[in-house]
Amino acid sequence: MSSVKQSVNLDLQLRQLLLPKLGQEVSECEDVIAIDLPACRFAVADGATEAFDARKWAERLAQQWVQRHSTLSPEEFRNWVAAEGRELHDSWNGLSLSWYAEAKARTGSFAAFVGVELNLKSESPSWKAIALGDTCLLHRRGDLLIKSLPLARSESFNNAPILVASNCALHESSMKSVVIDSGNCESGDVLLLMSDAVASWYLKCFENDDLAADDCFFTRSDNELTEFFDEERLAGRIRNDDLAIVRIEIKERSIG
Amino acid sequence: MADPFSGDSARKKSDFVAEVVNHTLHDLVIRCTKTEEVRNYYHVSVIGYGRQVGSSFAGPLSARNIVPISEVADYPLQVKSSYKRVSDGAGGWVEIPVRYPIWIHPASDGKTPMCEALARAKDILHGWLLDHPRGFPPTVLHLTDGESSDGDPNEIGRQIMSLGTDDGAVLLFNCHISTRRSAKIEYPTDENSLPDGFARSLFEISSKLPGNFLAAAAQLGVNAVEGSRGFVFNGDPSSIVQFYEIGTSLTGMTPYRWMDDRTELA
Repeated sequence: MSSVKQSVNLDLQLRQLLLPKLGQEVSECEDVIAIDLPACRFAVADGATEAFDARKWAERLAQQWVQRHSTLSPEEFRNWVAAEGRELHDSWNGLSLSWYAEAKARTGSFAAFVGVELNLKSESPSWKAIALGDTCLLHRRGDLLIKSLPLARSESFNNAPILVASNCALHESSMKSVVIDSGNCESGDVLLLMSDAVASWYLKCFENDDLAADDCFFTRSDNELTEFFDEERLAGRIRNDDLAIVRIEIKERSIG
Repeated sequence: MADPFSGDSARKKSDFVAEVVNHTLHDLVIRCTKTEEVRNYYHVSVIGYGRQVGSSFAGPLSARNIVPISEVADYPLQVKSSYKRVSDGAGGWVEIPVRYPIWIHPASDGKTPMCEALARAKDILHGWLLDHPRGFPPTVLHLTDGESSDGDPNEIGRQIMSLGTDDGAVLLFNCHISTRRSAKIEYPTDENSLPDGFARSLFEISSKLPGNFLAAAAQLGVNAVEGSRGFVFNGDPSSIVQFYEIGTSLTGMTPYRWMDDRTELA
């Protein structure tokens, strides 16, 4: 848990969790979290399991995005993804691949992506986010879910989301599904970046007026939180998938 | 199978069917490929029948009755080279070299020992089910160009459909192709439109299409509804392609579009 002073009045308190599928190693996890605290940029990417080099593509998207200071308009985002995709494909040049790996590489890699930038320094603290796929940003204020994007209902998750493709030939159709949104921040607000399985679970809890989804972050240590999500996946309440969670709580700055 | 499709005198049915089966195997391998590893999500049998009944795999896999998909990937009969036209991402097209494997050769001799072939399929299924009692139930895609020459397949078809895992019954889908210019019947819900006893017999041993398969059919623009059987009668070349695309769409994935404008080199 970390706390960073951001403005005269507001701090943010951060908590993050990254878990591989049950029974898999951390090295196999294709969810990626990237954070640039000074820039107040946060991202989660979820590499598509059956895609070529999906973890590297997810890493590239998340880690490069937080280090930039733009890419929050559709055109900037598309140009940036195209450039990152070209670099990824270039990194495969010279590899000796089987016919099937070659076919897979030709299609390219895919990942879901969500990134958010906070501006807590202004008179009207705010956030702006961009998302494509089924990794989500949720904005909670008390018992209200103010925003959830790009998906807002638990039943909206399926196994064929439109993802960020490394192959720019696929951008013409996929980039139409990019979602950009913004909102104001108040003390006590919580922003959550979540990969699909845990986002779906969180939304379902919320739809059922079950506050356990957020309470777990207050009452549990990191180890306890890991055990909690392992149990939820074992019980089938969360699909057995990689989990990535970034929880950003906006708080009044403490004096002294 | 040695005959051409009606209206297409240049192409034998057996050549086209072999191409579709090779592309289907290619598709299954690609679906299971994770970067450079092929995961064994499927086991595959390819049974041909005519003068003989047996595995159609040629090359390193010949005589193998059932093969994990990773071995299908690694042991094709031959890997050919060609060019494929793809979008350049800027509104234009470029041709890129591609490699594609083949596993089976066309074959079109002998009669139509359908009962013996289905009995062979049942034996293979029985063995697999003993080892995988909780697996996703197997799917049998049966393609024929004529009536059975060794009896009514209804009984052996029913025996196949009675097999299953904890997750459900084996799915048996049938596609009959014809050289006649008869109207094709695709994925009917009842027997009313069927022209004869042979068609009705195959209909009766065709499973209903589960939800994932219906979704795949819808994506392909095929008219299949709740209660539709996995059954095609008097099918044409597009029926065969769609039959295999729908029949291998068990994961709910978008059917792989393989009908590209490829130019064969060797």
